[in-house]
Amino acid sequence: MSDVNAVVDERVKQTSGLRKALIRPELGAIVGTIAVFAFFIVFAGDSGMFNAQGVLNWSTVSAQFVIIAVGACMLMIAGEFDLSVGSMIGFAGMSIAIMSVTLGWPVWIAILVTFAICIAIGALNGIIVVRTGLPSFIVTLAFLFILRGFTIFFPQLIERRTIIGGISDVAQGDWLAPVFGGKILGGLFVWLADLGLVDTFSRGTREGQPVVDGIPMLIVWALGLMILAHVVLTRTRFGNWVFAAGGDAQAARYVGVPVNRVKILMFMFTAFCATIFATCQVMEFGSAGADRGLLKEFEAIIAVVIGGALLTGGYGSVIGAALGALIFGVVQQGLFFAGVESSLFRVFLGVILLLAVILNTYIRRIITGER
Amino acid sequence: MASFDHNPIVEMRNIEKHFGPVIALNGVSFDVRPGECHCLLGDNGAGKSTFIKTMSGVHKPTGGEIMFEGRPMSFDSPRDAMEAGIATVYQDLAMIPLMSVTRNFWMGREPVKRVGPFNFIDFKMANETTMAEMRRMGINLRSPDQAVGTLSGGERQTVAIARAVHFGAKVLILDEPTSALGVRQTANVLSTIDKVRKTGIGVVFITHNVRHAMAVGDRFTVLNRGKTLGTAQRGQITPEELQDMMAGGQEMVELEGSLGGTV
Amino acid sequence: MNTFFKSMAATAVAAAALAGATAAQAEGERYVLVSHAPDSDSWWNTIKNGLALAGDQMDVEVEYRNPPTGDLADMARIIEQATASGPDGIITTLADYDVLSGPIRDAVASGIDVIIINSGTPEQAREVGALMYVGQPEYDAGFAAGQRAAGDGVTSFLCVNHYIAQPASSERCQGFADGLGVDLGNQMIDSGQDPSEIQNRVMAYLNANPDTDAVLTLGPTSADPTILALDQMGLAGDIYFGTFDLGGDIVQAIKDGVIEWGIDQQPFLQAYLPVVVLTNYHRLGVLPGNNINSGPGFVTADALGLVEQLAGEYR
Repeated sequence: MSDVNAVVDERVKQTSGLRKALIRPELGAIVGTIAVFAFFIVFAGDSGMFNAQGVLNWSTVSAQFVIIAVGACMLMIAGEFDLSVGSMIGFAGMSIAIMSVTLGWPVWIAILVTFAICIAIGALNGIIVVRTGLPSFIVTLAFLFILRGFTIFFPQLIERRTIIGGISDVAQGDWLAPVFGGKILGGLFVWLADLGLVDTFSRGTREGQPVVDGIPMLIVWALGLMILAHVVLTRTRFGNWVFAAGGDAQAARYVGVPVNRVKILMFMFTAFCATIFATCQVMEFGSAGADRGLLKEFEAIIAVVIGGALLTGGYGSVIGAALGALIFGVVQQGLFFAGVESSLFRVFLGVILLLAVILNTYIRRIITGER
Repeated sequence: MASFDHNPIVEMRNIEKHFGPVIALNGVSFDVRPGECHCLLGDNGAGKSTFIKTMSGVHKPTGGEIMFEGRPMSFDSPRDAMEAGIATVYQDLAMIPLMSVTRNFWMGREPVKRVGPFNFIDFKMANETTMAEMRRMGINLRSPDQAVGTLSGGERQTVAIARAVHFGAKVLILDEPTSALGVRQTANVLSTIDKVRKTGIGVVFITHNVRHAMAVGDRFTVLNRGKTLGTAQRGQITPEELQDMMAGGQEMVELEGSLGGTV
Repeated sequence: MNTFFKSMAATAVAAAALAGATAAQAEGERYVLVSHAPDSDSWWNTIKNGLALAGDQMDVEVEYRNPPTGDLADMARIIEQATASGPDGIITTLADYDVLSGPIRDAVASGIDVIIINSGTPEQAREVGALMYVGQPEYDAGFAAGQRAAGDGVTSFLCVNHYIAQPASSERCQGFADGLGVDLGNQMIDSGQDPSEIQNRVMAYLNANPDTDAVLTLGPTSADPTILALDQMGLAGDIYFGTFDLGGDIVQAIKDGVIEWGIDQQPFLQAYLPVVVLTNYHRLGVLPGNNINSGPGFVTADALGLVEQLAGEYR
């Protein structure tokens, strides 16, 4: 009797190695990344896309997507969405601008207070979702409008305009601002320029300086967040709880996983990522605008889905999401280098999103053995 | 039987549970001893689910007493009950199909290993333990990374049972573990129950299938309309009598007659 | 698996076809025009057409780029990207000095000639190192319109702002208020971009403030629904109505006497002239000595002929 279970069912085919590789969530994104780079090397190889400036350009854009995609990915794996990410970006930037420029607070205080406010809003999102049991789609859609409304209202009320500039001036000498808006490894690029590997400016006040004067902190943040989230998700207890909360909240509760806490924390993390995005942007450009971050929530979700996460939660990969963001950024900027009409980017986006979702559904069938 | 020498691990005395005006349980008494399989039988709506939820700490009883290892006990949450040693394997909510066997097995109680300032899951140890526990229950997994979704229904039940046993359950409540399974898988699960019982764990086996109950049960308690109709020892009752008690008596006898005794 | 590769291949082929089809095949110089307008803003068609015409006539390669949602931070990236692709010249708007001045300065320092059009001021254009400014200073245009309206006896107005996040649009309203010599206060509304929302908000405002003398709209996006709103309220032709920019419906409304005047900043020139100027500068080394004001020109019911014929295309 006891051996019955051990008998191999002859009707289950042996799974091939290929099939096994296929059910890794990142696979689609890896193949996509290779395809996208191959495509642009062929069609835009000599257009400047792969010189130092070009690489920095699409890396920066991709890094932006990575930062919000990492947050969205963790949240989606935990079984929820956040549609307020884009509005949160606008709101956080405006908050920093109002506190530092209009109210004259030190920039580091403005940044820290903004982080506190935004993370608290993220927690509020989470608490409402968890307590009411409403779909996060609706709750965060409400915050999409609420935050965007405030982002337009406050600067208009206080300053009678919707863009607040001058942050670069007040951020001079601040200790925290360079953590978001600064650049690192400047010396490396001067050295590379001396070797002739990187072009230099040909005129103006910066003549002779390399065209790329360092790696923006934005990219450093993107890499840091990606590694942190990946390790937490795959290697720690908490990561297991994130999968469990999204896979089947009730089953997870039965074995004692604090599902509500996990979900709320993930909402806070998403808000944290959005605030990092906003802070980097504000510190780099020196101004905050009411229209910043429009539609970014969808771009983040698209990157995550391209990265192999399931919309229903419980399955996905941070590395996949980051690759999804890379594909996103490279294609968005690359179509320009390849001379393609930019409105067609949206067509591409729709097509690749559809492909990714179809692929993901197929993968899900393999994993769960559904027929 | 040897198991009856022991005192009950859990004893439920006269449990009542009201939901507003609805009386779901109206005086249910039930106990389980180490190393026995106590079957709780009842038709749909008899109050089985409410009763096991009361036992596992999901509901608080409106009236009556729960004794755990001889002392009165009140569980505030399923977590409390679980920590005391009452593990419940629910019919359909046991496993997360998209996650690997190991991740499911350790869910909520992941073993950690310190690396510098960080605590990481000790996957080597977790995988090995999972494989070993599953082997003990008679299942050879292809790989501990296999998603639970690829397992059959019986195998999933077995993972959940093995998990409860591994984490030191003293009482294992199985909620209709065989109801959705085919013949062979049912046999697998029943044999798993038998193995678990032999390790000295008290098993509460909830079912409405008399034949499954008779296959492994030591004692049988029938629940009907929120009340216990009495408890019988193995050998003191026939399957037909059990079936009658579950269905609530006369009309079932008539029906059975007309169906030629196939129910 | 097969499905996936097939789909990828299909995408690649499709994208390749597009790439081949749209790369403008012209010899010589390459100029990129970067605007701040979202895809949905129809007014920029005139710019696109002017750009294409100039590209044809001068036999140069021209490209039009814009941030799809109108996000100015995205626009900064597009300018950086344009710089990396090494064109001969960049023609760009300066919608937000803080955000865009850095990338534009980098472009200039990389040896690319830049002309600022449409948004921004001549001073800002000089500061970022651009060759010149072609456009209509927004505040000044608003101010001029305000003075004109004041002369016609207007003392209160409604400014329908459909693009409130863009500072230039608020400056038009502010300029108009200052030109009238009144406080802007609550006379500017954020109308959104949806036609029926704009229409209803205008009606709501005018119902709530029946003694409003005038309506100012900032472009076809807000003007067209406002015309409908006034029609429905029976105020068409009765209330003083001025608008920035031209479009098909606006021209018709001027003809019908619903709109008193349209401020034409002649966007065609903002796209066309920079290409001509840059090409001649690069080929012959000649450059006009000053900025070019493409507007404001007040278009009234008189002399509507060509405007009407070409509205939305080149006017």
